[in-house]
Amino acid sequence: MKPAKLLFQALRSLRRYRLRTSLMMLGIVVGIASLAVLSSVGEATKRETMQRFKNMLGTFDAIIIRPGGGRTRGMPTLVNVPPTLRFDDATAIATELPEIKAIAEVQNAFDIDVKYRDRNSAPAIFGVSPNWLTLRSEEVADGAFFDADQNASLARVAVIGPDVRNQMFGGEDPLGKTIRIADVPFEVIGLLKSRGAGPAGASLDNVVLIPINTASRRLFNRDFLTMLIAQVKNPERSSEATAAVAGLLRRRHRIQPPALDDFTITNPSATMAQVSRAGSTLTKILTGVSIMALLIGGIVIMGLMSIAVSERRKEIGVRRSVGAARPDVVLQFLFEAVFVSLAGGIAGVIIGWGGMQLVTRLQKLPPILIWQPFAAAIVLSLAVGVVFGLYPAWRASRVDPIQALRS
Amino acid sequence: MIEVEDISKTYTRGEHGIVQALKSVSFRIAPGEFAAIRGASGSGKSTLLNILGCLDLPTAGSYRLDGEDVARYSDKQLARLRNAKIGFIFQSFNLLPRTTALENVEVPMVYGQGAVDRKRALGALDRVGLGGRASHFASELSGGEQQRVAVARALINSPALILADEPTGNLDLNAGREVMGLLSDLNHEGRTVLLVTHDDAVAAYASREILLRDGGVISDQTRVADMVEGVR
Repeated sequence: MKPAKLLFQALRSLRRYRLRTSLMMLGIVVGIASLAVLSSVGEATKRETMQRFKNMLGTFDAIIIRPGGGRTRGMPTLVNVPPTLRFDDATAIATELPEIKAIAEVQNAFDIDVKYRDRNSAPAIFGVSPNWLTLRSEEVADGAFFDADQNASLARVAVIGPDVRNQMFGGEDPLGKTIRIADVPFEVIGLLKSRGAGPAGASLDNVVLIPINTASRRLFNRDFLTMLIAQVKNPERSSEATAAVAGLLRRRHRIQPPALDDFTITNPSATMAQVSRAGSTLTKILTGVSIMALLIGGIVIMGLMSIAVSERRKEIGVRRSVGAARPDVVLQFLFEAVFVSLAGGIAGVIIGWGGMQLVTRLQKLPPILIWQPFAAAIVLSLAVGVVFGLYPAWRASRVDPIQALRS
Repeated sequence: MIEVEDISKTYTRGEHGIVQALKSVSFRIAPGEFAAIRGASGSGKSTLLNILGCLDLPTAGSYRLDGEDVARYSDKQLARLRNAKIGFIFQSFNLLPRTTALENVEVPMVYGQGAVDRKRALGALDRVGLGGRASHFASELSGGEQQRVAVARALINSPALILADEPTGNLDLNAGREVMGLLSDLNHEGRTVLLVTHDDAVAAYASREILLRDGGVISDQTRVADMVEGVR
């Protein structure tokens, strides 16, 4: 009963001093809005980055082996890798290591002219094993992928990405048509499903896939590989599989310590964990900045409330003289601070939600629905009101009514 | 109603040492009395009024209000007494700023039992002749009207004791008479009224006069009733 009456008095005071009330609210609105926007944008960015890495890496239960030690810059191709990774390395990994379930051989190159009638384009050309689709968890949207027989017989067949279809065929059905890759004719037998964008934002759909043996012997005339993709049996033990592969390759390539590896192995699940950590750090930094803004909002409330207590000494004196005990004064001022802060928090959440929609649209992030930062913002604004309202409320209760009434 | 025995009040004022505002003051005021406390400034009358109003506690001595010994009361108990038994009227009115007359009168009900009763507050304003000004802000009222709102606020919880500190000090003659008329009416209803003033005409409304000097009572006289009528 009494708290309800005090709350009502608090609301009346807030209405009486509108300018002060809105100034107190402003800090919280800004703090909460930025908290809501930044933390959800941070989270959205993290999710989007993870998704792009996933697009590029395919499955997480595969490790990627590339020729050349140390860090390679950009995408390896036949023109920039050393000829150290061989077909028999792939066979050895697949047959000798129990940790490995399957392996795909890859040769890839850029800047190769692809023609269909009078149209041409320069997609990435990938010679890959027939098990590629399964290993990468990719799918064919139309037609079929090539099989082991077609690979063994060096069939000139190609599966194209959606970008290539759009550039060279327009509305035409590409299946059964003949394209010329570096003047070698290939029959289009399949169309890949779209994979979207990679980590750098570029499309992953501008590709042509052909059988690895056809690529090696009919197109590129190279007997080394640019990449191996090995599917591990137990994804939770992918680091052990990585070590086993490294040991086998060092033996086969006769590398003795202290000589370094002449290959590089990437473990996607490790990479993903790293990306995820980086994303979390970003979210943490953004959240930290917003919490600082919120704290400043709280300090503004505390400052303005303290000034208000000095200005309202007479009111406090009157209230005390008509029967307000100290706790009643504390409660009224605390209610004022909490109400201001909570109202500011709710306004901030509304503005922040609008801001988040705007940022995701401008940054071309996928629209997301994250409610946690908003719920946290409401709780936080409540807490800020209590924490920063306590001191001025306590001061109000210490006002000497005799002094206050005399002035 | 009021039993004051050997009350003293001393303040410590920084380096100037101790100031003795009241020196063993004793008197009794019966229920229904109308008394005036007089004295020059610095005589201790404000200190006495604050103690009688339960805003302050004496350093020594005992004060019984309506039979309750308040000397060792807690902040909460004193607040309850102020709310239920005492109505304050101040020289400078002390209405809440930016607040309507009605809302001002409602304030004591916030700290009492039960809900804030708007009808009762309107009745109190009617009683002081300001029923038509309920929604006016304090700043829109004349001094006399503001003091009448303060009287309405003082009587809203039906206190047995009304304490008025120079109630006409900031008012012109007519407004002062109106306010004093209201206080007399409250006294005739049976409420005890205690007045602090140094104005003879105002003190003349009271039937008893307690004179203070240097923190002590130097005279305590009860006037004959027909004399009061004659002055009026």
